[in-house]
Parts: sequence; structure tokens; C-alpha cells
Amino acid sequence: MNKLLIAVIVGAGFAVAGGAVAADAAAGKEKSQTCAACHGPDGNTPMTPEFPKLAGQPADYLEKALRDYKKGARKNPMMMPMAQGLSKQDIKDLAAYYSSLKGDLKVKY
Amino acid sequence: MKFRSLAIAGLLAVLASVAAPLLAEGDPAAGKNKTSMCAGCHGIPGFRAAYPETYHVPKLGGQNPGYIVAALKAYKAGERSHPTMKAIASSLSEQDMADLAAYYADAGRK
Repeated sequence: MNKLLIAVIVGAGFAVAGGAVAADAAAGKEKSQTCAACHGPDGNTPMTPEFPKLAGQPADYLEKALRDYKKGARKNPMMMPMAQGLSKQDIKDLAAYYSSLKGDLKVKY
Repeated sequence: MKFRSLAIAGLLAVLASVAAPLLAEGDPAAGKNKTSMCAGCHGIPGFRAAYPETYHVPKLGGQNPGYIVAALKAYKAGERSHPTMKAIASSLSEQDMADLAAYYADAGRK
């Protein structure tokens, strides 16, 4: 009985911890409507030359960019308010989604 | 009359040469010669920046040229806080930025 209880509590603990850190690209796609308006529906065709392509960029870089916009370490009048509305989970999901897309971006020497 | 149109043409030529650096048309070939400071991080697949945070550096090949210029200007102006990028961007002229942007943007078309 006690062992079962412990197993349930430990299991629940993992489930909570897992949900807080795991990135979900499919969920990110659902959340990307607002982004698509400027960065393009494929993350590779931005509306103006000043907006970056996101498709295929490393996920941890995209996360950092969104975190920096959110906390004001990266100052941009367009992106700061966008990032304000994102949770840590949103940021992970969006970064995973855009990183999973194939576009023009490549490492060029 | 002829002198006048010549004078106007001359004036326009001077204006154009003054205005050109403001518009900073990028030259990919010139940009290639300016990438020595970029390649040590951005030219290595899977490279991670180690300071002040650890993450993969962004890919530049195929990126929008206007964005690359905007990013470099933002580093130079302190609107983006990465110490290494701020130091590098601060050493670049607007022409350097445009040339680098043209060089990296070119990769997407090949």
C-alpha cells in the first residue's frame, strides 16, 4: 500500500517536472499563428527583409531570443510585447516548432 | 544653359555619392573578405556560444540581408546584449554590415 502510494507520488512528480521542461513542436505549431503573420507561414518567408527567417534555426537560440525579448535584454518594439505574452512552455514549444522546419538557413563559412 | 545643366548634373553626382553610403548597397564579394571574425563561431556546424549563456549560435547562411544589418546595428547600439557580438559589431561600418549581409544572404539562393 505504502509502496503504491510512493510510486504514484513519484510518478506524478515526474509528470509535473516533465511538463515544465519538455518542448512540444506540435503544440508550438498551434501557438505560431501570431508569428506567421510576420515571419511567414513556413517560417522561411518573412513579410519584410528586416524580419528574420526562423525555419531551421537552433531551438536553444530561438528560446534565448524569446527569453531576452521577454525580459527586455533584447530591445525591439515589435517583439518585446509579443514575447511578454509567452510562458516558458510557449517559448519551448515555439522554438521546437520553428527549429523543426526546413528552410533556407544553413551554416555558411 | 549648357553650363547650367552640367552644373546640375555635377550637383546630382555629388549628392548621389553622399547618399550612397547611407543606403549602403551590399557587395557579397567584399563581404566574403570580411567574414574572418564571424567564421570562428558561425562557420562551424553545431557550434555553441559558451559565454554568457550556452546555446547554439544562429545560422546566417540564407538569412534575410535586412535582418542581418538590423541585428548588427542593434548589437552596436546596445539593444542586444551579447558581449562578443557587441564588440564585433562596434568595429563594423555600415558598408561592412551591408557587405556581410549580402554575402550571407547569397547562400540561400545557391
